[in-house]
Amino acid sequence: MKRYKALTFYGMLILLLLVVAAAAPYIVPYDPYAQNLPTALEAPNGIHWLGTDRYGRDIFSRVLVGAQTTIFSALLLLSVISVFGIFIGIISGYYGGWIDTVLMRITDVFLAFPEMIFAVAVAAALGGGILNAAAALALVAWTKYARLARGLVFTVRHMPYIVAARMNGTKNSAIMSRHILPNIAGTMFVTAALDMGTIIMELAGLSFLGLGAMPPMAEWGAMMNNGRSMIQTAPWVVVSPGAAIFLTVAIFNLFGDSVRDYLDPKQ
Amino acid sequence: MKKVTMLCLFIFIAGLLSTGCGSVDKQVNEKEKVFRYGTMAYGPAMENAGTNPHDTYYGWSTVRYGIGETLFKFNNQMEIEPWLADSYKQIDDYTVQINLRNDIIFSNGKKVTGDAVKACLEDLIAKNDRAPGDLKIKTIEAAGQSVTITSKEKVPALLNYLADPYGAIIDMEAGEKDRIVVGTGPYVAEKVTDTEIDLVKNTNYWGEVPKLDRIVVKSITDGDTLTMALQNGEIDAAQGLPYASLDLFKDENKYKISSANTSRVYQAAFNYKTKALKDLRVRQAISMAIDKDGFTRVLLHGNGVPAVGPFPGNMHFGGDVVKGQPYDIEEAKKLLQEAGYIDTDGDGYVEKDGKPLELRWLTYTSRQELPLLAESAQDSLKKIGVKLIVNATDNYKSFLKREEYDIYAKAFVTAPTGDPEYYFTTHVLDHSAYNHGFYHNDNMEVMAEELRNTFDKDKRTELAIRMQQQLLDDCAFIYAAHLKMSFVMKKNVRGFEAHPSDYYEITAALDI
Repeated sequence: MKRYKALTFYGMLILLLLVVAAAAPYIVPYDPYAQNLPTALEAPNGIHWLGTDRYGRDIFSRVLVGAQTTIFSALLLLSVISVFGIFIGIISGYYGGWIDTVLMRITDVFLAFPEMIFAVAVAAALGGGILNAAAALALVAWTKYARLARGLVFTVRHMPYIVAARMNGTKNSAIMSRHILPNIAGTMFVTAALDMGTIIMELAGLSFLGLGAMPPMAEWGAMMNNGRSMIQTAPWVVVSPGAAIFLTVAIFNLFGDSVRDYLDPKQ
Repeated sequence: MKKVTMLCLFIFIAGLLSTGCGSVDKQVNEKEKVFRYGTMAYGPAMENAGTNPHDTYYGWSTVRYGIGETLFKFNNQMEIEPWLADSYKQIDDYTVQINLRNDIIFSNGKKVTGDAVKACLEDLIAKNDRAPGDLKIKTIEAAGQSVTITSKEKVPALLNYLADPYGAIIDMEAGEKDRIVVGTGPYVAEKVTDTEIDLVKNTNYWGEVPKLDRIVVKSITDGDTLTMALQNGEIDAAQGLPYASLDLFKDENKYKISSANTSRVYQAAFNYKTKALKDLRVRQAISMAIDKDGFTRVLLHGNGVPAVGPFPGNMHFGGDVVKGQPYDIEEAKKLLQEAGYIDTDGDGYVEKDGKPLELRWLTYTSRQELPLLAESAQDSLKKIGVKLIVNATDNYKSFLKREEYDIYAKAFVTAPTGDPEYYFTTHVLDHSAYNHGFYHNDNMEVMAEELRNTFDKDKRTELAIRMQQQLLDDCAFIYAAHLKMSFVMKKNVRGFEAHPSDYYEITAALDI
């Protein structure tokens, strides 16, 4: 019951985050992209709740719109890498033999690169932009899902129900999609949920390095990068997007933990 | 026994840690006067991590850090004055005789003679990639304390070019060892690495006696690290602090700031190969929409001056001697309308023949002001219905090569030798290396040729003004602002002044 409550609570928070992110353009008090130089670097006040940045833009509005950019980019990236990784892992684990060898050696090649450094190099070569940053991360991040899915497939592929399905003449694609995938989905979902926070951090990290979102896009990492030289003179410029990243990552991590606890048969 | 062992171990570890944490600087004799200087302008990225002035831009370090000196130097109006030279005589359009001071000696004690200068200049034109094109030297003859230079073509700005840091006079017989050369400046390089130059006093200095025993020039390329280094006293002075950090050093009881207007301009070149930008009215509209005053006042925190043309107001051919496009959003909208760009679908952006006016603004981030200018321009152009896509990347050279830009913004020192010819030669002619906008004007080519052959200073000034005006009338570039360069230092630092040329930093007058 306690596990269910935690799951529900964090699930509601995630839902709230997603709703706010989706509705951000309609609920912001100011145009997050409209510059107004005379009001540049105003400290938080009754008019601008989180202050203004060096261009006089309302930081509260930018943090809200930034939620959309940051969270949905991370979700998109997570979807791509998990779907692709699971697909490769299932194929590799189910067929085994030379297919497994080839796919896993390719995976090994990508695993040999330090993830963030490789992403920085690729993003720099592609020339920045949030999509390029996501593509750079996707190139290396799918391997984790492929490895995990393959391992899980190994544990189920000789199960009696799989053998029975084969003997019945069920097609391989049907076995993989109807019998294997549902049995490994729980573990993969927990991994993805726990990975969400990391991906948000990595995307924000690339933007912080100037390799992610391009101006004037409101994205939390880019906002922190733009304000980092003002951390002593106008700390609100950095603290607000930083706090948004912290809260969002914490919520996603706690949600991932609660999903894991909920699905853990030992508990 | 166990407790005693643990205590001994603890003391040992604590001792090790305290040794490790101790600053390397503590090794310096405490009686020595040491000046520690943090700068963003030194390092391999700037191509100046060395002291041999004949290699790339190493000469900037040679002159900036007081290791070497040139025959002529610039005053605050960027006019040349003799330095190692005593006087000169223009014999004809191709020949100039330079008489050297009689009291100059290299830091190794050798006298600077005509022969030494000849050997140095010959090595310069043999090795340097810019000097041969600038100086066009045919022969150099030495006799006692004089040097006679004959050029292949008329080079009216020859003496100005000799004041470029690549013209620092070094002892060729002493050669170069571990990136160290022997110059004539008040300090001698002791160690040169990619991140640091260690200097000691030149006890043989020919001029005013240097007041410091040792100087450590440290490359600190992160603005926040530089700020904190000055705040916590690790360095005595800093160059290149982020503008937002300057407010932290306003306490006059603790710090001093020295500033100088430089000829470093933030400019954006229109790409004439872009169809929409072939239309003068579109270029004019875009130029009119740039809020230069807001950019300098707010985004540069006043550390710049709105630019009209390529040259700053402290030069007699610069500032408002020319007339550019005023900041006028309404007029800009009208011009776009006249050019056929109208917002037909109500999305806030103008279109022509069904195509939106969307432009790519290419710039780089290693100059902190450029991304600010890009984002400011993006908002300004949105007001007139032009969509600007900013690509701020340090991989910009590959985009330049592929010509994937409509507007290219950069920072450039327009008059490093106090003479206007350099800018025109490098930026606006058919053969110019930095003509990234592919600008061409027959009249400009004619005037450039005339400038190349004109020695009279007033006529050169007049020509430079006409050429700038032509550029502004053609709207080939947007000139946003000229940089004000600042040194921030502790209150006790003396004789450390910013100079418009950006060449002279450490001199014999420096003291703490």
